[in-house]
Amino acid sequence: MDFITGKHMSRRTALKGLGATVALPFLDAMLPAGRLSASSKAAAGATRFAAIEMVHGAAGCNEWGSSQFMWSPEKTGRAFDLAPSSLSPLEPWRDYLTIISNTDVEGAEARTAKEIGGDHFRSSAAFLTQAHPKQTEGSDVFVGTSMDQYYAQRFGQDTPIPSMQLCIENVDQAGGCAYGYACVYTDTISWAAPDEPLPMIRDPRAAFDQLFGSGGSAEDRTRRRRTDKSILDWVVGEVVGIRRSLGTTDRGRLDQYLENIREIERRIQRIEAHNTSGEHREIPEAPPGVPDDFAEHVRLMFDLQVLAFQSDVTRVFSFKMGRDGSGRVYPGSGVNSAFHPASHHGGREDRVTEFAQINRYHVQQLPYLLERLAAVEEPNGTLLDNTMILYGSPMGDSNLHNHKRCPLFVLGGAGGQLEGNLHVKAPDGTPMANVMLSLMHKLGMDDMKSFGDSTGDFSFAAVSED
Amino acid sequence: MKRFGVGALAAAMLYLVATGATGGDAAIVRPSLAAAAALEASAPALPDTLANSIIQSVCIRCHNDSRPRGNLSLESFDAGDAVAKAETAEKMIRKLRAGMMPPPGVRRPEAATLQAMAGELEGRIDHAAVASPYPGRRTFQRLNRAEYERAVQDLLGIEIDAAAYLPTETMSDNFDNIADVQMMSATLMEGYLRASGEVSRLAIGDPEAGPRQVTYKVPKTGSQAVRAEGAPIGTRGGISVVHIFPADGEYIFKLDMHSGPTGFLYGMTAPNEKIEVSVDGARVALLEIDPFMSESDPGGMVIETAPIHVRAGPQRIAAAFLLNAEGPDNDLLKPVDYKLADSNIGSAYGVTTLPHLRDFIVTGPFAVTGVSETLSRKRIFSCRPTAPDEEEPCARAILTGLAQKAYRRSLVAGEVEDLMMFYDLGVPEGGFEAGIRTALQAILASPHFIFRFEEVPADAQPGDVYRLADTDLATRLSYFIWGTYPDRELIDAAEEGALANPQAWEAQVRRLLADPRSSALATRFASQWFRLQDLEKIHPDAILYPYWDNGLVQAMLRETELFFDHLVRTDAGFFDLLTADYTFVNERLARHYGIPDVIGEDFRLVAIPDEARRGLLGHGSVLTLTSHADRTSPVLRGKWVMEVLLGTPPPPPPPDVPDLEATEEADEGRFLTVRERMEMHRSNPSCRSCHRVIDPIGLALENFDVTGAWRIKDQGRVVETTGELYDGTPITSPADLRAALLVRKESLVRTFVQNLLAFALGRRIEYYDMPVVRDIARQAAAADYRMTAFIRGVANSAPFQMSVVEGTVAEDVDTGPER
Repeated sequence: MDFITGKHMSRRTALKGLGATVALPFLDAMLPAGRLSASSKAAAGATRFAAIEMVHGAAGCNEWGSSQFMWSPEKTGRAFDLAPSSLSPLEPWRDYLTIISNTDVEGAEARTAKEIGGDHFRSSAAFLTQAHPKQTEGSDVFVGTSMDQYYAQRFGQDTPIPSMQLCIENVDQAGGCAYGYACVYTDTISWAAPDEPLPMIRDPRAAFDQLFGSGGSAEDRTRRRRTDKSILDWVVGEVVGIRRSLGTTDRGRLDQYLENIREIERRIQRIEAHNTSGEHREIPEAPPGVPDDFAEHVRLMFDLQVLAFQSDVTRVFSFKMGRDGSGRVYPGSGVNSAFHPASHHGGREDRVTEFAQINRYHVQQLPYLLERLAAVEEPNGTLLDNTMILYGSPMGDSNLHNHKRCPLFVLGGAGGQLEGNLHVKAPDGTPMANVMLSLMHKLGMDDMKSFGDSTGDFSFAAVSED
Repeated sequence: MKRFGVGALAAAMLYLVATGATGGDAAIVRPSLAAAAALEASAPALPDTLANSIIQSVCIRCHNDSRPRGNLSLESFDAGDAVAKAETAEKMIRKLRAGMMPPPGVRRPEAATLQAMAGELEGRIDHAAVASPYPGRRTFQRLNRAEYERAVQDLLGIEIDAAAYLPTETMSDNFDNIADVQMMSATLMEGYLRASGEVSRLAIGDPEAGPRQVTYKVPKTGSQAVRAEGAPIGTRGGISVVHIFPADGEYIFKLDMHSGPTGFLYGMTAPNEKIEVSVDGARVALLEIDPFMSESDPGGMVIETAPIHVRAGPQRIAAAFLLNAEGPDNDLLKPVDYKLADSNIGSAYGVTTLPHLRDFIVTGPFAVTGVSETLSRKRIFSCRPTAPDEEEPCARAILTGLAQKAYRRSLVAGEVEDLMMFYDLGVPEGGFEAGIRTALQAILASPHFIFRFEEVPADAQPGDVYRLADTDLATRLSYFIWGTYPDRELIDAAEEGALANPQAWEAQVRRLLADPRSSALATRFASQWFRLQDLEKIHPDAILYPYWDNGLVQAMLRETELFFDHLVRTDAGFFDLLTADYTFVNERLARHYGIPDVIGEDFRLVAIPDEARRGLLGHGSVLTLTSHADRTSPVLRGKWVMEVLLGTPPPPPPPDVPDLEATEEADEGRFLTVRERMEMHRSNPSCRSCHRVIDPIGLALENFDVTGAWRIKDQGRVVETTGELYDGTPITSPADLRAALLVRKESLVRTFVQNLLAFALGRRIEYYDMPVVRDIARQAAAADYRMTAFIRGVANSAPFQMSVVEGTVAEDVDTGPER
């Protein structure tokens, strides 16, 4: 719940007044005064945040590819041309697009002789932490707290699930991978603490159950929720009886338990309210298991993110769309080469062009997410206006395994914090961490002084229109 | 319900003492006056002036007001005042008993004098505790993951993984059942609610079940050369699990294979590989593995079976490779020994590699045909209605039986009616079974099941000490010894009021101990006391320890658990824990230890002729969990001994001290041994004061490598183990270390009691509990330190059987007895 300043009724108070059976998609009384005015700054923590990683850099980060503007457009400012770029599928959405080019992920570079060659096994760990992972195949992994987790730890407690981590490829989370690195560095982008990697969920159904409850069909889920609610009602009654025979501390704990039970009731009601408030809002059938098709899998994961954002079950997602060294072929891209071999294009123009096509195919998945977010009306704009989507790669030129001039763009209005239709080129040597730090400021974490290897703030001001 | 005021209780105790009904036979045992008197008599009478003179002449040199080392000043401490300052006195006693004070390098009085000084402090405190016993209290406990799994297994006959529903437990003082850190949150409670829905469906079966996918991951460190536990004979590698099928129907099994770094099948050079899927040991599919399969294929590395009809309920399923060849291979190097510690290593010609299963995925059910009989259904449906009018009475009978077990007591008026309400709610969804399932879900979601509430007598006043209700005691006892809910016999005894009778109580304690369920003392208590859960976090370096695999880890865990269980079951002496010349091994572990003639997977009792390997300090589990991935850590081993066995944790390192990693790894072109690096580290004065205490303990174990295997060299140099214990005793071998520890019997025994008591009570042990700890230790000493004497001592102790009513309404922390 986005509790902002001003007088408003808490949802709990509202529910008490209304009884338990009323569907309540939007109780205007619960919206704080001033929330609807366009000038008001988004409440801290109200913006939804999704961080998406694609591995293996981009063709446009190669020397020749960049001369062809295969990733970053030629012009900065607002009049950039996306046509030659892998970002071209985003042309219809350019008002929501902010491209930041020319930033480095130094944390993924080798720092000692022993680390040379292990780029694939450091990259993902460095992406959202902008820190340098400790080389180990043991349990003593260490890198940094990731951007999504900083946000979730600060604001995620307002929602039933503080954050959720999703992925597309099969990941292991255990054991060593190669070059002396534990697999967990490759297999997650979210770190709750420098030594606490978070597992990523690959099965859409498993993620779905966590977000919205179990059940094979919408009808089944409704039935289960009804049973759950009767049980919770009964539990509340039981507690009264138990309370009498307990000591004071125990009573305090029991009251806390009762409060938890009421919170679960509220969560159930929130999902029900969501379901009864419009035809398009019914939660779709989740297929069993992991689809074979990449695009279908990605779309399902996007569906989940939109639904969770929309029903305010969580506001933070991290989404790992690839895995380093993956040999997957993307038939939908029109390219028959596998992803990792294609990324080692040797600088040959035909193969760089082919790799750009794969990059384009990945970016091409995003409009589906944007459409769905834009279709959700919220009191102060669409869901897309209130979401910040970060998309990037911790590698630059995959052929060289470097981590310079890496792909990065942001989508969505971020609660009025991002204007869109903008390409900003960072000065050479700018850490990607600077951009992330400034994005975190925009998410309401104004007091963060530094992040990862950041050297300062990043200005999104449209500079020279060259 | 019996209730005593403090005075009444003390009077009762005095009466018991007077009539000689003390020791293990009493219902409630307090430190007896006789014992306290005997203690004072045995200790050389040390006048206060002398105790104080030791404090004033020795202790306060470091522990003074201007420079209170260890945050302790004894300048104004008067030994005659030990009772009022029991918290400080207990700290002194602990250090004195462990022989850790005065520290090495300081001139110290005779050991006997110091022990007498500790004895005198103890005598005063224990004497006062007899007159004014204080049992302490805690808030109610919540079923943790392990207890939840056990309860579901006992109640419904299915094995579930509670980690799928409930978050990680918070540990406190070694244990996962400490009530006051068992946090509650809506997400946690939602986990119990979700579990109640899923578990009730798994147990009864779900004819409405829709298809879903369950993935079992094969550990990369699982050896692919040997048969996986539970897999059919004649197979190698893969995985075998018990999967609960929700309904009779068709299921598709998917096998995701590991690829090498280039995206091709790992082990592609092995010819004619086939993998078998079996259900309950019977082959249901045999799939050929295409050696040229690759990540780039449309289906990736996944091969799958056709839909296979499987019946509902728990079934053992396996996916395992057919064994093509047995015996040695011709490889000169076996860098990762058929596991997949690192897919880069070993994917070269000249090294035999075998395909490795990555995930075993069950998808289904499709085409559900119903739910046929399963073991758990037989357990639940104790009756079967054959006519509509039999349904309700049968439902009542079933639900009463289930709820009594789950709530750990007989039901009170109205409780069955409540459950029948849920039965009625479920019936329209699918008849009788759906009704039972819905009510079962309510039972599993009930606070009576999830929490272990303990009743406070209605007329109790703040400060009153009272005996727990019999049913609450029964639950405490059963969770202490069995790790699960009490059986009917114990509940009946409690409800008949029989537990107040010391003989009946004693008989129940003995009965529970004799039951196989008491193995929970090993798997729940000892494994946490020894921190065995840390073993899974250690991944020894694959290149240095190529033989390390998951089978070895599991064997090590099992060894220590079986060993402790054996001590309890044979009522061995406690010190066997350190000195036993026997242990439990299977072939894998025997080979690791160099014990000959052990063939097969089963564990068996073997003699250990090698003195170095004897007792717990020779267990691979303990030696590995105190190591780093690529080197041993005498510091971690020393710390483990100090914390786990002696109960005297070393202080945390001061801030900004460089750790061992900051020392050089090599000198003059030669890799340094761990000992050499430690000595460099210790030359830093800010490290030295503590490490001279910690390190020699660990160095005595330096002949055990990271995996607990015996070694004579480290980095090419002969392992140097000589050292001096903090009290000056020279120790150079595991046997020396054991002998030096056994001098500190008092510390070892009390640490054991303290841990056992903490686990049994579900709360941390405070200074005011120490008289009880010492009393239990004394009783055990009188019984030759037999294991059961400790367990009975804890079960008979006041904190186990009693509680105290909180002082004021606002107070929510136990601040100890009023003095």
